[in-house]
Amino acid sequence: MRWYVARRLLWAVVATFIILSITWALLFVTQQQALASIQFQAATSGGDAEAAKEAFEAQRGLDRPLWEQYSSYMTNMATGNWGYSTSRGQPVTAAIMEALPYTVMYSVPWTILTVAFGLGIGLYSATHQYSRFDYAATFAAFFGYAIPNFWFGIILLVVFGVHLDLVPIVFNPEAPVFSLENVRQLVLPVFVLTTGSIASLTRYTRAEALEYVEATFTKTAKAKGVSDRRILLLHVLRPAAVPLSTILVADLLGLFIASSYLVEVVFGIPGLGQLSFRAIQTQDTALVLATTLIGVFIAIVGNLLQDIAYTVLDPRIDYGDR
Amino acid sequence: MSGQRQRTADPGTEGPLLSVRDLTVEFETERGTLRAVDDVSFDVDRGETVCIVGESGSGKTVTAETITKLIPTPPGHILDGTVELEGRNLLDLSERQLRKVRGDRIAHVFQNPQDALNHCFTVGWQIREAIQTHEDVGDRAARERAITLLDRVGIPDATSRYDEYPHEFSGGMRQRVVVAMALASSPDLLVADEPTTALDVTIQAQLLDLLEEIQDEFGMSILLITHDLGVVAELADRVVVMYAGRVMERGGVYDVFDAPAHPYTKAMFDCLPGRGRDLRAIEGTLPDLRDPPPGCRFAGRCDFAREECHTGTQPPLYDVGNGQDASCVYYGPDGDPEALRDGHGEGDHDE
Repeated sequence: MRWYVARRLLWAVVATFIILSITWALLFVTQQQALASIQFQAATSGGDAEAAKEAFEAQRGLDRPLWEQYSSYMTNMATGNWGYSTSRGQPVTAAIMEALPYTVMYSVPWTILTVAFGLGIGLYSATHQYSRFDYAATFAAFFGYAIPNFWFGIILLVVFGVHLDLVPIVFNPEAPVFSLENVRQLVLPVFVLTTGSIASLTRYTRAEALEYVEATFTKTAKAKGVSDRRILLLHVLRPAAVPLSTILVADLLGLFIASSYLVEVVFGIPGLGQLSFRAIQTQDTALVLATTLIGVFIAIVGNLLQDIAYTVLDPRIDYGDR
Repeated sequence: MSGQRQRTADPGTEGPLLSVRDLTVEFETERGTLRAVDDVSFDVDRGETVCIVGESGSGKTVTAETITKLIPTPPGHILDGTVELEGRNLLDLSERQLRKVRGDRIAHVFQNPQDALNHCFTVGWQIREAIQTHEDVGDRAARERAITLLDRVGIPDATSRYDEYPHEFSGGMRQRVVVAMALASSPDLLVADEPTTALDVTIQAQLLDLLEEIQDEFGMSILLITHDLGVVAELADRVVVMYAGRVMERGGVYDVFDAPAHPYTKAMFDCLPGRGRDLRAIEGTLPDLRDPPPGCRFAGRCDFAREECHTGTQPPLYDVGNGQDASCVYYGPDGDPEALRDGHGEGDHDE
């Protein structure tokens, strides 16, 4: 087990290395937006476009051998020197640190709510299969899953922000983290994200739990005199947690990366999604790269945790400490 | 039900340990209501082994699982009848009261040892749970007792195997663990539903020996569900033969084996190899329990069926003598049991 975790950790490092190398290669072949404008300026002001290019490349270190460029890029990445954001006029890491708290502010309650309600509703549906609650939960799940998050967000803003005036329409980044104002402006984004992510977790939980609700060992536990609640929380949820952990990690990661863009843009939250969105709009290469890599790193860490969770949750999975 | 005899193993206590009367259980299915158990009655005395025999679909498992209401409701529905444990009707108890009976007074062993233990917990944990559900004992004391139980059911090196997971045990060993778990609170009755069906023949014999040993040691009764007449011969004191949800015949194991009364029981013995006669399969299939034909459930496949067998309801359990009862018109007021003695009846098909 320890050896497995060590190998798995090593692989995470290798994967990161490969991804960074590929992004470097992609950047290398990408047209330099800044260079094009400098050359244009030089040409229009009667200068030599070629000389301007050489000056630019010398300044950026692009005239060095490929290997040197590559190794300095990797060193910079490893040491947290992620470049300078031209559109924001600050180091990329500083821009990310500014945006991160806003993303965390809605992600944490969103994740907690998704897990709590997704598991809870799924388990209840499994034990009360084909009941009225089960049908209602199924309907709600498909509703939340089918409806596009950004559209749902806009509709809710129109209804609760404009017509009912219950929540602010414009996000105030200055609001203290633990204040009523902050809660009010985060209610809708958290709600929208939760309805989107709760669906698949509910459905998977229901399906997985059903398999174990009908298993002989559940009957064994019942025949021992164990209470229904204990059966559900220990004998059913525990084995179901193995496949669910996969779905949970994959699901939340996908949503974290994809929906946070839309939701942050719709609700005007200055988090990572909006930072990335603006960076793309202004062709701020360093910032686009950084915000994309953050998603990649979260995915790598998430998969790592998920693989380790397997070994802990299901004793039958033996990775053989060879 | 007529002709019900009550024999008490221990003359000091009154009445049987478990008394099932007129039990009727239905299941809602997509294609209609299925009556899985119909008017079933039998007793289990203290310290005795009663076997319910029957082919697949005869309702024996549903009968066993209805005793402590383990069947899922819905789709299951207990329509009628009582299950009395020392005079107390278990079917009237609340879920909370039933939990005190399950595992503590009546324990179960199920058919499939592959799936009977939860793969996420160690066998020790699962036995300890059985102990601590019914008794307020500390983890350390429960562990000691669990190890003693594992040792008792013949798990070698019980102390170190206590912390192992079910997948590290073979099928036979797993079933021993299940038995150990069932013994955790020294139950009065062990309901064993096809406990050896999924096991090798040699392992089967060992497990049956174990059941006999612990029965003597713990002084408990066993209700054994099986389709294997060899197992019945080995363990049973009394036999209940079920077919299509009904009791066809009841009696002491020697009487039933020596002189099976009901044509179905006879036909079942004819299916056994090694009895010096030609093997005969029972022609036809089980009737559809969603819409059973009138008359005796077995009439459609019975060599002796007469016209009256296809009308009315299932015949009552007539007293055959020797404490044997059979649900067959040949033992009724106008019947002639001698007609069943030799050869085959009017409905005989020649092969």
